[in-house]
Amino acid sequence: MNSDFLSGYRKYREAAAINLKAQLAWRADVVFNMLFTVSKILFAYLLWGIIFRQRDMVAGFTFHGMLSYYIISSFLSQLELSGGISGEISARIRNGSFSKYMVLPMSIQGYFIAMEAGVVAFYLAFDFLAAAVWVFLFRIRFAFTGEPLVIACAALMVLLGLLFMVQLNFYLGILTLKYQEINTFLMIKNNLVSLVTGTIVPLALFPEAVVKLMRCLPFYYVTYLPSMLLTGRCGEEALPGILVLAAWCGALQLVIGITWKKYRKRYDGVGI
Amino acid sequence: MNIIETERLTKTYRRFKKPEGLSGSIKSLWKREYEEKAAVRDFDFALQEGELVGLIGPNGAGKTTLTKMLTGIIAPTSGRIDVMGFYPNDLKNEFKRQYAVVMGQKSQLFYELTANDTLRLFKEIYELDEKQFRETRAYFTELFGVRELMDVQVRTLSLGERMKMELMVALLHQPRILFLDEPSIGLDAIASGQIRRFLKQVNRERGTSIILTSHYMEDISTLCDRSVVIHHGCKVYDGRTDELFARYQKNKKITATFSQELPPAQNLAAEGAASLQGQAGGQSPRRPSRWEVLERTPHKLTILVPKEEASAALAAIMPWGPTDISVEEDEIGTVVERIYQDGSRGAAL
Repeated sequence: MNSDFLSGYRKYREAAAINLKAQLAWRADVVFNMLFTVSKILFAYLLWGIIFRQRDMVAGFTFHGMLSYYIISSFLSQLELSGGISGEISARIRNGSFSKYMVLPMSIQGYFIAMEAGVVAFYLAFDFLAAAVWVFLFRIRFAFTGEPLVIACAALMVLLGLLFMVQLNFYLGILTLKYQEINTFLMIKNNLVSLVTGTIVPLALFPEAVVKLMRCLPFYYVTYLPSMLLTGRCGEEALPGILVLAAWCGALQLVIGITWKKYRKRYDGVGI
Repeated sequence: MNIIETERLTKTYRRFKKPEGLSGSIKSLWKREYEEKAAVRDFDFALQEGELVGLIGPNGAGKTTLTKMLTGIIAPTSGRIDVMGFYPNDLKNEFKRQYAVVMGQKSQLFYELTANDTLRLFKEIYELDEKQFRETRAYFTELFGVRELMDVQVRTLSLGERMKMELMVALLHQPRILFLDEPSIGLDAIASGQIRRFLKQVNRERGTSIILTSHYMEDISTLCDRSVVIHHGCKVYDGRTDELFARYQKNKKITATFSQELPPAQNLAAEGAASLQGQAGGQSPRRPSRWEVLERTPHKLTILVPKEEASAALAAIMPWGPTDISVEEDEIGTVVERIYQDGSRGAAL
């Protein structure tokens, strides 16, 4: 699967482009997506405003620091849209329409990564715009690191994190070849990801032992650590974080390869 | 030169059998029973480059399973399979670049975008250069007469127009083999006719080998010189299509509607007899005794007649002033059943 992905990058670029075009086809969707981003920031502003009325610091964050963290973390988590991949693969394997990917001369996983990239590019542009407008409107003193190396590490970490999530969802999707039904796996994954990525509460609020454990898991590096890095914290974790996340990506790719090879022949294309 | 060869090709599915009711569902939690079903059995088949072959069979006969094995979508359980020198289920890109598959109800098009957008994607997927892409697109745009539809959202196209786009996408990289699974399903007579004409032309002008799976006898009879009939996963006929129809298609179904109320039933046989007598020049008239009335209402009549007596039956009906008449061939299931019965007596293959 990997050699295909590297050799024919143009086909994957076009697959990403067509998915970006598909996102742009619906104007109302674009508008509502921006409104949704805006409303999330508004609620966070009100909620944290109430909490910070009685104190200046929460877990080492000032009000503006917390909002900066929230905006970045929420922005990154909105880019992580791979959750639909597992469901789509699962449904297509079960109804037989997965065949449409199997007959194309390209890597199926690569095609899904490219599709995801196209959708992410769309949300990246519009969510960034919405976040920027609200930072300006609320006059948030945005806490953003000025160190180029940290920014580069955070950007790389975001890319690896998004790749890992696509890999994970692709893997869960192809487990349908063995288990037929993967909803329980998806439920566990969704709950775990919400908790461990720090999108519900900053991981800094957890006991140190729990955070240590989470540092061994890839989810810690998907939105939480990049958000912390970009708000000027945890700089010393940047390089080790990239290594840990890259190791997870490599390991998961190996598992995907083995699983695909082992269970591909179980696909019966029923329904066509 | 054969570009497809199979020997004793077999595909067996394993499926879970759940006992009836809630207790059966609970029992099946810890003890499951499975049964094996052979969808394709000991199938020998060969296709020469440039051939256009029809694959006929009733639902569940194994046609689609065979197509899925030939395209590599599923792996055979046993037997030998060679398509253009490849074992299809290896899913090698060099192999996949040389064929295309169109599944009537499964689309490669992006519905919210235009056909041009999808074609552009397929240009990159099949690594075509710009010149080749433009030439091929222009050829098919002209052939299908869809120039003005290339830049509108696919979801706004009719079913027939969408099928033309689907074929364009499939044929863009000029595949050596085109697998078509029910391409005319849901299409009206005009659109089906157009699609058939295009396929014939693509086969003739581009030398594309085509394997066509269809329920519609007309698709097969107008397009394919050779037909392969499958029944219960086995090949029961492999030969010339005209011979197949001459031997096994025995009846025609005539349906006529009338604005005025029909005359009494017995008149039909009398009119038919007279017509047959006229055709025989007044000598040894045959009696239309095998004309079977399938449906009769005051304004509609459906009869099943031997195909050689169809014109006599039409002549008998015409004096009653029908407002509409349709003549249909025997249904595919009926023909296959006849071949199967004949085959069991050792006469079909």
